[in-house]
Amino acid sequence: MTAQIHSFPPSPAITVETLPLAARFSLRLRPEHREEAKAALGLPLPDRIGRTATEGARRALCLGPDEWQIDAPEAEADAIRRALPRGLAHALVEVTDREVTFRLQGPAVLDLLAVGIARDVSRMEVGRGTRTVFDGVQAVLVREAEDRFTLAVWRSFSPHVEELLQRGAREIALGL
Amino acid sequence: MLLIHCPYCDETLPEPEFTYAGEAHVARPADPMALSDEEWRDFLFVRSNPRGTHYERWRHINGCGRFFNAIRDTVTDKFAMTYRAGEPRPNLDALKEAAE
Amino acid sequence: MTQAFRIPGAGRVDHAKPVRFTFDGKTVEGREGDTVASALLANGIHLLGRSFKYHRPRGIVSAGSEEPNALVGTSRGPGRSEPNTRATMQEVWDGLTVESQNRWPGLDFDVGAINDRFGRFLPAGFYYKTFMWPRSFWDKVYEPFIRRAAGLGRSPTEPDPDHYASRHLHCDVLVVGSGPAGLAAALSAGRSGAQTVLVDEHAEMGGTLLSEPGVRIDGQGAWGWLDAALAELRGLPNVRLMTRTTAIGYYHQNMVGLCQKLTDHMAAPPEGAPRERLWRVRAGQVVLAQGAIEKPLVFDGNDRPGVMLAGAARTFLHRFGVKVGHRAVVVTSHDSAWHAAFDLARAGVAVAAVVDVRPEVSRVLTGQAEALGIEVLTGHTVTGTTGRLRVASVRVNPVRGGRVGAGRTIACDALLMCGGWTPSLHLFSHTKGSLAWDAGAGAFLPDRKTEECEIAGAGRGLWGIAAALDDGAKAGAAAAKAMGRVAGVGTFAVEADRTGDGVVVKELPTDRNAGLAKAFIDFQNDVTAKDIRLAVREGMRSIEHVKRYTTNGMATDQGKLSNINGLMIAADALGKEAPQVGLTTFRPPYTPTTFGALAGYHKGSHFEVTRRTPIDAWAEAQGAVFEPVALWRRAWYFPQFGEDMHAAVARECRAVRTQVGMFDASTLGKIEVVGPDAAAFLERMYTNPWARLQPGRCRYGLLLGEDGFIRDDGVIGRLADDKFHVTTTTGGAARVLNMMEDYLQTEWPDLDVWLTSTTEQWAVVALQGPNARTVLEPLVEGLDLSDAAFPHMAVAECTVAGFPARLFRVSFTGELGFEVNVPARHGLALWEAIWAAGQPHGITAYGTETMHILRAEKGFILVGQDTDGTVTPGDAGLDWAIGKQKKDFVGKRSLQRPDIVAKGRKQLVGLLTEDPKVVLEEGAQIVADPNQPLPMTMIGHVTSSYWSEAMGRSIAMALIEGGRDRMGEVLHIPMPGRTLRATVAAANFVDPDGLRLKV
Repeated sequence: MTAQIHSFPPSPAITVETLPLAARFSLRLRPEHREEAKAALGLPLPDRIGRTATEGARRALCLGPDEWQIDAPEAEADAIRRALPRGLAHALVEVTDREVTFRLQGPAVLDLLAVGIARDVSRMEVGRGTRTVFDGVQAVLVREAEDRFTLAVWRSFSPHVEELLQRGAREIALGL
Repeated sequence: MLLIHCPYCDETLPEPEFTYAGEAHVARPADPMALSDEEWRDFLFVRSNPRGTHYERWRHINGCGRFFNAIRDTVTDKFAMTYRAGEPRPNLDALKEAAE
Repeated sequence: MTQAFRIPGAGRVDHAKPVRFTFDGKTVEGREGDTVASALLANGIHLLGRSFKYHRPRGIVSAGSEEPNALVGTSRGPGRSEPNTRATMQEVWDGLTVESQNRWPGLDFDVGAINDRFGRFLPAGFYYKTFMWPRSFWDKVYEPFIRRAAGLGRSPTEPDPDHYASRHLHCDVLVVGSGPAGLAAALSAGRSGAQTVLVDEHAEMGGTLLSEPGVRIDGQGAWGWLDAALAELRGLPNVRLMTRTTAIGYYHQNMVGLCQKLTDHMAAPPEGAPRERLWRVRAGQVVLAQGAIEKPLVFDGNDRPGVMLAGAARTFLHRFGVKVGHRAVVVTSHDSAWHAAFDLARAGVAVAAVVDVRPEVSRVLTGQAEALGIEVLTGHTVTGTTGRLRVASVRVNPVRGGRVGAGRTIACDALLMCGGWTPSLHLFSHTKGSLAWDAGAGAFLPDRKTEECEIAGAGRGLWGIAAALDDGAKAGAAAAKAMGRVAGVGTFAVEADRTGDGVVVKELPTDRNAGLAKAFIDFQNDVTAKDIRLAVREGMRSIEHVKRYTTNGMATDQGKLSNINGLMIAADALGKEAPQVGLTTFRPPYTPTTFGALAGYHKGSHFEVTRRTPIDAWAEAQGAVFEPVALWRRAWYFPQFGEDMHAAVARECRAVRTQVGMFDASTLGKIEVVGPDAAAFLERMYTNPWARLQPGRCRYGLLLGEDGFIRDDGVIGRLADDKFHVTTTTGGAARVLNMMEDYLQTEWPDLDVWLTSTTEQWAVVALQGPNARTVLEPLVEGLDLSDAAFPHMAVAECTVAGFPARLFRVSFTGELGFEVNVPARHGLALWEAIWAAGQPHGITAYGTETMHILRAEKGFILVGQDTDGTVTPGDAGLDWAIGKQKKDFVGKRSLQRPDIVAKGRKQLVGLLTEDPKVVLEEGAQIVADPNQPLPMTMIGHVTSSYWSEAMGRSIAMALIEGGRDRMGEVLHIPMPGRTLRATVAAANFVDPDGLRLKV
């Protein structure tokens, strides 16, 4: 079963789509081993929480002092699984199937996020990401562009989140 | 909904991103089996429960995931400061004097 | 009706747009822009309802959200009715249904009005005094009586079909109130570039300016200036204006709750539009520009319809083009009401007199009054009113040297009162900001602040539009500067500003028996001056006690009109000054707020998260019945061919014990524990030994709290030297991960190990029963499933049905069992593949009920059902799970605490009823001697109890004092009507030697 891409509702202010699954890993290691990991992965690991780094189609998002989310095309998953040497103390755990990722886009995207997120998302710079809460559900939010975000939540929470995104998008379309 | 400064993210963020985790600076004894019943009881159950300045722990559970320490006034709910886990207990009076 | 009291062309309503609504079934015509109150007044209707306690006729007192009297029921269809809507705030629209409240059979003739005649039998503290005894009367007589009498308006009986929304909002400066002070503040802040939000509870912005069109600002009329100011604010991209939006509460760190009414003013709201939205605003700075609320005067008959606040009359005149009567009398202790009298006189209302309690009033005012033909009665009091359903006359008396002279009666159809103004500081009080009595202003003013806020204008006791504009401009600039902006302070040239002052009074002096006066303080709760004095006489000293004894200020208006008058009279009765008596505390919400707005999106299917597994859709298609487990919904049982629950569960149990069953175990918590110190970490967390567990093997893990009590359990598989697959209970997953992170981060940060939740990475299908291997074997690649190669408690990575899998040989049923983990996206496909492969072997899907029974037949505990946070491994019979050689693990020290090693602790044992057909109730209490007197000594309780299909009888588990020493003992379970007998037994009912696992 693969996730379907669908959009709703037709509104110039907002589109919401569910992204197809790509490889996603949680990488944990001590910050002093970042350089070693970078060399092995061919991907820099940002040293500040909330920063992202990309190399080719791979992206690393620093979520905590010793935690990075690695996103990559499915075709590169095996290479990533094998990249880090056994001698390097780390944990690389695949979480591709754990999550559903929505992409939200449009001029009213900040209003839509404000339906569920208490933090001030407008202060988030493009290219940054963070773990946060959307309507009580833990989520990872990444700002891809001024008016484009991705919001990833655990699989079983996604219908709840999707329903609220849909409600919020409708409100915005109504202009209320 | 309080605003809490995460000393790891260096950001002040809304309370739903955090969970409370009890009094701070209550370290687990290195060798619990060496403790008397009374010492172990105190470690397990006895807390300061002050009216006023409270050293306490929070976790940025919906953020960077880190446990950290905070100084909060239990009367006003105002935070004096937050600091990383493992750092020594700050002397609040000295900090206040320095600020004045 | 004819709108006989409407002044053509006057006010801000749209005279070209008539609006028709019904009031108690009669059609009433108003204008677009009217409130229900202004439209009714335009038609000469003052009588809107009956009062709460005495059922006295009541009308409109104010023109704003402080209204205590004019509460009506409004409706737009089934489920869309609302009681206690303030007629002064509800806008009219075509088709709106309005009903008066608290009257039967009708508004004009009301049976409950008898209470008014017997009013002296309903004094303050009536409930406390009357319903004390006899005690037996409480349930049957008093409470039903109170319940019938209590409450105002009718609650809707249907579910509310409306949607409610919520949103977060962040800004630099939030300005509450859009009168002159708020507008000037918003202009200062907005021009500085600060992110500014200006909110007002009314349908349009302007506040006092809407009621003061004669004032000129910067050379323009007030309304022209207002239009220009609003146009400028609308043109600023950093400013957001929100009308119909009430700041309901002011919370920590400048969070303000706003309730925005989105559709209540619309005749045809858009389909699916939310009715209200709750905004949670986080502001850098807050400017409170909420103005002031006019005080009523306290005199006999001050509640009659037609008696209203003078400022309200001015608002109805100027904003809505409505005269509140043909012939008015004004009674006041403040200059502002004189201006109301002048405005009404100029609009053609016959103003018979201005009665001022002050002996001396400015010659400017009296001169103007005389020029307009208004009789001036300074140094006078009002001692009564007449009129059955509407004021018909007022009795006025001179006061000389404290003596009330002879009264005379003046005919009128409107009596306009003004006792001065109270700064509206409710939101400021929410912050625990303190108030200080200002004798000059005759009011409590803001003192010590606890939040980053400014109070501007009348809230600080500054009267007049010029003062409000200047103060607002300064407050807005200060707020913007505090947010790092460069802000200028605008100046305003104001002409024809009408300021003034007044005196603070208690109840007006009278020549009549004050004990018989109905001089109301709290109109909504029917509290009179006499009630306050009685409370003090009966020993109430604290204003908080006076409030609760009399219920003054405890109605839905929270005493916006009554608190200060109540305080003044209480202070007088106590012989103290007002500041020594102090105010009661205002609390959120500022005005009544719907539960819908507070609930927001969280109703119906969105009430809380419902987590579903990847296999949930299959279960639903099969007609499964679901049960909630933590936030998950899990398939409880799968009824077939019209089976009831008992039949379905018995069939599922038989299938697992005789053939094979499959079960969706995806909700089990899973944590990947990875790193060189993974085994060392688990050694410290769990009671069991892990260091020597070989990769490819699993073990039952038991997790305690530091207090020694069982917190969680689950099977843990070692996949590699440095990698463990930990499972937790469904409900415990998040808690266990948090607990592990706590120890890892704060106690043992030196360990090189990391924890990742993989609960949702994997879908899990459990296959249990003698045919389990037969079904599974053909689907598995890369693994020999024979008992020799893959024995009980083995784990391996392999391929199942073509999907990468982690395969566990585990059993929570006592049967040969496997648990197949595959990436969640393949969960449904795996399930369907096993389902198909199992068809020749009698495969049966089973739910959580069968799972619970099968494990109970083996005596396996369910954490949270057989344990309750006070059960140790010893209590649960799990001593075998403790690593005896381990020096330490979480909770180990506590297992030697005196009360844990003490004799007689409750222990988990089996219980078999004497009558095998009786299934005990879970939670039932157990006693040793059924004949002892009440209260009996309870020695334990039933934790799990089921019909066991395998045993052909009921089985139960119970926590019983010294249970393991009572094997064979008969105990008693008292139930309503009978006492059951049961024998203590080992909690391992089926295959006690575990032979069925070794196949």
